[in-house]
Amino acid sequence: MRPFALSYARPAVKSATSTPYSYDATRQLNVLPDGRPATCSRAVLLATGTTASTAGSKTHFDD
Amino acid sequence: MTVLVLTCEEDLTADIVVATLHELGVPLVRLDPADLPGRVSLSAEYSDNDFHGYLKSGERMVSLNSLRSVWVRRPGVPGARSAEQSAWITAEAEQALYGMLSCTNARWMNHPTAAAQARYKPWQLHIAHQSGFLVPPTLLTSFPSAARQFAATHRDLVVKSVSGKHPGDPPMVLPTTRISPDTDFSGVAAGPTLLQRHVPKEADIRLTCIDDQLFAARKKADPEEVDSRFTHHGTWEPAEVPDAIHRAVLAYMNAAQLAYGAFDFAEDPEGAWWFLECNQGGQFGFVQLETDQPIAQAIAGWLAVKAAL
Repeated sequence: MRPFALSYARPAVKSATSTPYSYDATRQLNVLPDGRPATCSRAVLLATGTTASTAGSKTHFDD
Repeated sequence: MTVLVLTCEEDLTADIVVATLHELGVPLVRLDPADLPGRVSLSAEYSDNDFHGYLKSGERMVSLNSLRSVWVRRPGVPGARSAEQSAWITAEAEQALYGMLSCTNARWMNHPTAAAQARYKPWQLHIAHQSGFLVPPTLLTSFPSAARQFAATHRDLVVKSVSGKHPGDPPMVLPTTRISPDTDFSGVAAGPTLLQRHVPKEADIRLTCIDDQLFAARKKADPEEVDSRFTHHGTWEPAEVPDAIHRAVLAYMNAAQLAYGAFDFAEDPEGAWWFLECNQGGQFGFVQLETDQPIAQAIAGWLAVKAAL
């Protein structure tokens, strides 16, 4: 028998967002291709890891 | 004195706090427990009634006695990137790392013991009641008959995950979902089910608490979607915290022994805030981006305070 709650599960939307930054171990921060901290870019912040939306963020689990 | 940040590399929300700590001139070491063993290594010695230990991440090394605080910001699972992955090595790495860190005088945001307890949704509801929040009638059951009786009493219900996790294979999401009281509840016997009276809401409230600092944000509710995580409707705006909510939040944080908590409320048409849950590791980046509330700065400021020796 299927658990009741699973009747209301929906397919996860696969993220189309790429991560245009990489981790700089020296600075202990993620940086953009031009070397600026990724947090300088509001667009990057909105599109990636800071969101609570389920659209594309692996961090959406509000643990 | 150093701040230890336990998080994954790609977490940009952690970056905001790390950048603030850099601006404050506070030394920090950032590492992911997933890299232990491997890029992260550790050692601790217990002898002569004393304890000395250190952690090494890449080229950085920190003495455990020099830690002022530990920020647990969604770290990876210990040993997850080990060359020899296994449940056993994860258990060994977790016990070693968190056991050593628990021996220090560092302040925690949040301590793993408090965090583990705070994740239990039934316990959250219990503490929320005691703290003075309004809590919607809730049923956690695996008895279909109990579910039917609850539905007959309250009529307008939502179902939500007990654990907060989404089903994984295949990848699915489980939003908080409104259900009909005439639903077939037989599937309740196949797994503990959390049913709650639906709160008709004017707005969603996300309140982020760092120690005794409160940041509340409000977003007008989407009439088509109960779960605000699954809608792009509206934007978050700063909100005033009612005095009674302020007191209840501090009581909850104290009872739960949390330094950080992200509370979700439903604001009803009369303006009352109904407690839904408190996420001990809840996301805050989206609130800060939309409201300009200095949440990351508050976290950095808390972490920067030196530990009591």
